Amino acid sequence: MVDLRKGEQHVNDQKYKLTLCDGPTCIHNRSREIRESIESEIEKQGLSGQVSIHLSGCLGMCKKGPILIVNPGYVMYGQVQPEDIPAIIKSHLVEGNPVAGKVIQEDHLYNRFFRIFGDVDFFGKQMRITLRNCGIIDPENIDDYLSVRGYEALAKVLTEMKPTDVVAEVKKSGLRGRGGAGFPTGLKWEFTANQKSDEKYVICNADEGDPGAFMDRSAIEGDPHTVLEGMVIAGYAIGSRKGIIYIRAEYPLAIARLEKAIAAAREHGLLGDNILDSDFSFDIEIRLGAGAFVCGEETALIRSIEGARGMPRPRPPYPSVSGLFGKPTLINNVETWANIPVIVLDGGDWFNAIGTETSKGTKVFALAGKVRNTGLVEVPMGTTLRKIVYDIGGGIPNDKPFKAIQTGGPSGGCLPAEYLDTQIDYESLAKAGSIMGSGGMIVIDEDSCMVSLARFFIEFTQDESCGKCTPCREGTKRMLEILTRITKGNGKEGDIEKLQRLGRMIQKSSLCGLGQSAPNPILSTIKNFREEYEEHIREKKCRAGQCAALLSYVVNDKCVGCGACKRVCPVNAVEGTRKEKHRILEDVCIRCGQCYDACKFDAITKA
Amino acid sequence: MVTPIDIIKKKRAQAVNRIISKGYLSTKRVYVGMATCEIAAGSKEVMAEFRQAIANGLTDVYLSQKGCAGRCNLEPTVEVVEEGKIPVKYGKVTSERAREIIERHLKKGEVITEWLI
Repeated sequence: MVDLRKGEQHVNDQKYKLTLCDGPTCIHNRSREIRESIESEIEKQGLSGQVSIHLSGCLGMCKKGPILIVNPGYVMYGQVQPEDIPAIIKSHLVEGNPVAGKVIQEDHLYNRFFRIFGDVDFFGKQMRITLRNCGIIDPENIDDYLSVRGYEALAKVLTEMKPTDVVAEVKKSGLRGRGGAGFPTGLKWEFTANQKSDEKYVICNADEGDPGAFMDRSAIEGDPHTVLEGMVIAGYAIGSRKGIIYIRAEYPLAIARLEKAIAAAREHGLLGDNILDSDFSFDIEIRLGAGAFVCGEETALIRSIEGARGMPRPRPPYPSVSGLFGKPTLINNVETWANIPVIVLDGGDWFNAIGTETSKGTKVFALAGKVRNTGLVEVPMGTTLRKIVYDIGGGIPNDKPFKAIQTGGPSGGCLPAEYLDTQIDYESLAKAGSIMGSGGMIVIDEDSCMVSLARFFIEFTQDESCGKCTPCREGTKRMLEILTRITKGNGKEGDIEKLQRLGRMIQKSSLCGLGQSAPNPILSTIKNFREEYEEHIREKKCRAGQCAALLSYVVNDKCVGCGACKRVCPVNAVEGTRKEKHRILEDVCIRCGQCYDACKFDAITKA
Repeated sequence: MVTPIDIIKKKRAQAVNRIISKGYLSTKRVYVGMATCEIAAGSKEVMAEFRQAIANGLTDVYLSQKGCAGRCNLEPTVEVVEEGKIPVKYGKVTSERAREIIERHLKKGEVITEWLI
């Protein structure tokens, strides 16, 4: 046998790693039977313990499926059938010769990172289109991007496609805006393309503001040229010569890399006059935002670029008709732009085959909270929450029960365990009472109080409300007051109903998306966790032990009288003599919890 | 007529040549995560260790930075890629771990399994 890993002292990991595509099409084409025949064949041919089998998410090569990848070497077999397995195992794994007739050579933009990261479950079960180059190329070197077929989509468009062809391809792909609202991207392009104007603008919305969401920053820092390429293609498609990237100043590294990328692209004739010697010219500049959440809303963003205070205005007219400086403007989010080169090279039909009936392609989620593997997760639309939380996220630390998942950032809702098998797309999340939003995803276990969580998010949106329309400005303020009161133990009967009434009113009458979605966290937690609100109001109890004002600290019999709690108490609420059980004076205690943290004997109980 | 596709193909070939001339075909390629998140987790120090090792005469290694692969709580991450072998992915790499990776993995070919992702 060829020992490809000679010289290594460690042998506790396997010699071969086989990856089977576990996407829906491959499963349909018997990939799970193949797994069984691999297992029995490994046994038969005496390779037990030397081969590990991994299951990947959809690899995007459904037409050639089922796919089997053999590592090391990254040899890919296509249209594998259970009957082929004995020959592959014998020839490739035992004798070291790949079975030539079955090997496929595919060079796609997507899933390149799979070559390096595919054998780790967290990565292997993802499908990377948007973040395809993040983590595998040097973002500050245009050569790295060019070597992975960078700017080939732009060249293809300029060589063999008319502007209308490009718009048609994007429409065919079924791509929808990744910034939150999910408007069909192709339609947006078409509307802007159809406008007659001496000047049009292309804008990249990189004003990522959701707490806990950082996919746009990551995408720009890991692969800035992709965004530029997408924008130049759009410029050609809609007849624009000018692109602007609106990014918040608090992303200095992303800005630096974008500046470097723009300079390198200009040097290579990929931006500026006569791109790639064609008669198409387009250039991009960067505008910095001051970090106001509302500037992620497109009309507010446009006003901010114009130099005015970032405030939304009523639509219509939509930016595609009258946008920046009154000119037709195409505005898309970072993640949306990053999909464009792949759609151009692999085709709208290919992209359209991924995802659900209404939502195509993949979505990046920032998985955080009470989950073992936190990070950026890109999966095809239609993946279930369970798969994301348990298969990719690795479940909840200490195997605590799952309580809820908060999707869509501060504008999203909390979904309890019964929604774990929901296939996520724009519609299913909306139906469940949440939103896709920009893709924040926070896993919540029993240690989190849903009332405090709702309060946290409304505090954020209240703070970020621009103040232009009354429902959002005043309504969120009142909601915050009521929630604060409830968490402090001063909740009143009728508060829940008042919150619901206010919430519905704000949703219906606010001017922009910020206000319309601000009540979501509150309304969804009331809907799904009403009993927690009732406990807070009626019994003055917080079951998660998070609302400090509703807790009392009691010393139990484990106390040895060491005095640690007494020393840390800032208000001298602990009394007792050394080596005797101490006591906490409830009327003096400010419920800071320092004694609880300081006790080494589990002698203080939170109740 | 020279089309944009012809031009981009030529550019790609030139880019690949430039990357190779920087030592891409070395036996081992080392990638250090250098996005905001990775830097905050300490990857600049890790990068410095690798740079220092090369300055001190470590050969046959191609060192590059990369963006973030998205595995937040194991950052900084470092990959060691060798042709014909399964790429090795290290998590939570500190300066000390970087020095060990240089000594044990890059110089002696030993994969330090306990730090693998």
